[in-house]
Amino acid sequence: MIERVHSIGRSVFALLQKPLSRAFDSEQNPLNYLGALTIYFCWIVLISGIWLLIFFRTSVTAAFGSVEYLTHEQWYLGGVMRSLHRYASDAAIIMILLHVVKEFVYNRYRLNRWFNWVTGIPLVWMIFPLGITGYWLVWDELAQYVAISSAELLDSIPIFTDSMAGNFMSDDLLSDRFFTLMAFLHLIGLPIFLVFGIWLHVFRLNGPRINPPRRMMAAALLAMLVLSFVYPAISHEQANLATAPQALRLDWYYLHVYPLIQRWSPGWVWTLLVGISVLLTIAPWAPPARKTTTAVVDLDNCNGCKRCVDDCPFGAVEMVPRTDGSNYTHQASVDDDLCISCGICVGACPTATPFRSRSALIPGIDLPNRSAADIRQDIIDQAASAAAEPRVMVFGCRDAQQTVSFRRAGANVVTVRCMAHLQPTFLDFTLSREHADGVLLLGCKDGNCNYRLGAEFTEARIARERDPRLRKRTDTSKIAIGWLTPWSDISDPVKVLDAFSASLPKKEDEA
Amino acid sequence: MKLAFEVFAWVFFAAVVGLLSVWPRYDTIEKDHAMVTVTFSHAANRIGECRTLTQEELNQLPPNMREPSECPRERHPVRIELRSDDAVLYREVLAPSGIWSDGKANVYRRIVVPARTHDLFVGMNDSGDEDGFDFEGSRRIDIAPGRNVVVRFDEQLQKFSIQ
Repeated sequence: MIERVHSIGRSVFALLQKPLSRAFDSEQNPLNYLGALTIYFCWIVLISGIWLLIFFRTSVTAAFGSVEYLTHEQWYLGGVMRSLHRYASDAAIIMILLHVVKEFVYNRYRLNRWFNWVTGIPLVWMIFPLGITGYWLVWDELAQYVAISSAELLDSIPIFTDSMAGNFMSDDLLSDRFFTLMAFLHLIGLPIFLVFGIWLHVFRLNGPRINPPRRMMAAALLAMLVLSFVYPAISHEQANLATAPQALRLDWYYLHVYPLIQRWSPGWVWTLLVGISVLLTIAPWAPPARKTTTAVVDLDNCNGCKRCVDDCPFGAVEMVPRTDGSNYTHQASVDDDLCISCGICVGACPTATPFRSRSALIPGIDLPNRSAADIRQDIIDQAASAAAEPRVMVFGCRDAQQTVSFRRAGANVVTVRCMAHLQPTFLDFTLSREHADGVLLLGCKDGNCNYRLGAEFTEARIARERDPRLRKRTDTSKIAIGWLTPWSDISDPVKVLDAFSASLPKKEDEA
Repeated sequence: MKLAFEVFAWVFFAAVVGLLSVWPRYDTIEKDHAMVTVTFSHAANRIGECRTLTQEELNQLPPNMREPSECPRERHPVRIELRSDDAVLYREVLAPSGIWSDGKANVYRRIVVPARTHDLFVGMNDSGDEDGFDFEGSRRIDIAPGRNVVVRFDEQLQKFSIQ
């Protein structure tokens, strides 16, 4: 059932990706930087908020006037900052929503990735009150509606002895102190927790993407600036507790539950919100749970070079003092609670080379369920069955949709967990031992890599910019990467193979 | 061409951000309607009478705990009813707050009414009786569209105000 939901979700995302791929290279595609863009929009909110704070007056009687001054008298700066503050907050909600949906449909929240998923839920609970208290501070009719409805929502929790909503009986009875509390929450309290929460959300990741590319940041800022000038944020009429606000321009990103408070009841709204949160929290452990075996270190072959530690995207490998009395000072150690069996550590291990002939192929670190020896044997078997000339060997990431379609098209496909699972010497082995005339790598680019950094590491290793590097003798014209143009633009595997085969040097030419 | 698509994508994104930021408008109440808000906190009577302790009972207590009378903590629920022209707008039995049910009963309820002249009546019972009210208040009031009439109970004067 849940896999069906994932599948439908991925199809929807693919529909979204298609038009966006016409506008952006994958390095510039916002869908690949949803988390980073959320943080970036929070930066815009923070900086614009500092400007607003300079002129904002924290009292019931003066708050509205100070916001009006910023909006109208100082429209060229204060007004723009106010609009930026608002629209960047709204954009952050869109990014969060897409981020959550994407991680869900691509199944990146289960097993050992539960921590990032679960720590994201309190972030959502923090960001909404942050936005809501911001609307409160303007103290216009919308603020009045938000304040009273929020108080009703809180009053329905049976832990308060006095009614909070009762503070809003009349303008005369409303206390400045209560207003100051909201300002404290919005300006200091919640932002501090949010920063800590973001740190907790990413701290288990190795090299988390905190910032989007500069060009994307500039484009996002420009888009928000243009919106701020074209459609500046303005207030409603000043709050007046003797009246009931009627037609409101609700910010649906933050205030979508408020109409429900009125139409249902506060209790049902709490039930809905807590229910969704509980479902999201337990989702990583919902069936079907498939715990895969984790990477295993072989001390006889581990020289403590630390490359697996550097490359593990999830910080699951660490160096510990040697336990086998070897002359090497350290050895790799895998934390089974963090390892998600992507095999990128194997692809980084210099001992995972298929050229061994005198000893069995047992690298310093390996995946028991898809060992380096299995991959080498697979290459040899596939080569033996290859008939067409020139022979193309396809290495496909297990999760890449392309891998499935190439296998269906009858290509010789060797499957790996992630493209970076394949140590570069396997390419040299395939070509130099004439198991194939060309090699095509199929993986998931950038933000689509289930293991975060697989595509980036693969490209860098083949470009000889990252260890373990592709050997110099390996002819890179015989290697094509399936997620780079032109190969990724061709949806028909047969056409890709034909095109790639045609691009390979002819044997007589080589002779 | 790619740049044009990129510009279009960001403009589209900005438009979506701006659109749902203010649209569609939400009508909290209809145009020819108004609001009556009932709000107060009130501690109802305790469920039993206080009992004066005998000297013998007092002597058995530590010196710092010798209160002359002993009262049950729990309070009655507060029954509230709001009527307009004899039609019931709101009726509820409010439980006292606190895990020992010894705190105030709180109410904050907004009721949407047609904007016109109303004969408002509010009654409250805090003694546990099933019939009648211990406190009552009434007022004939002309309620304009969009107005918020507050019905509250003044603890000092021990009477309702409707304004």
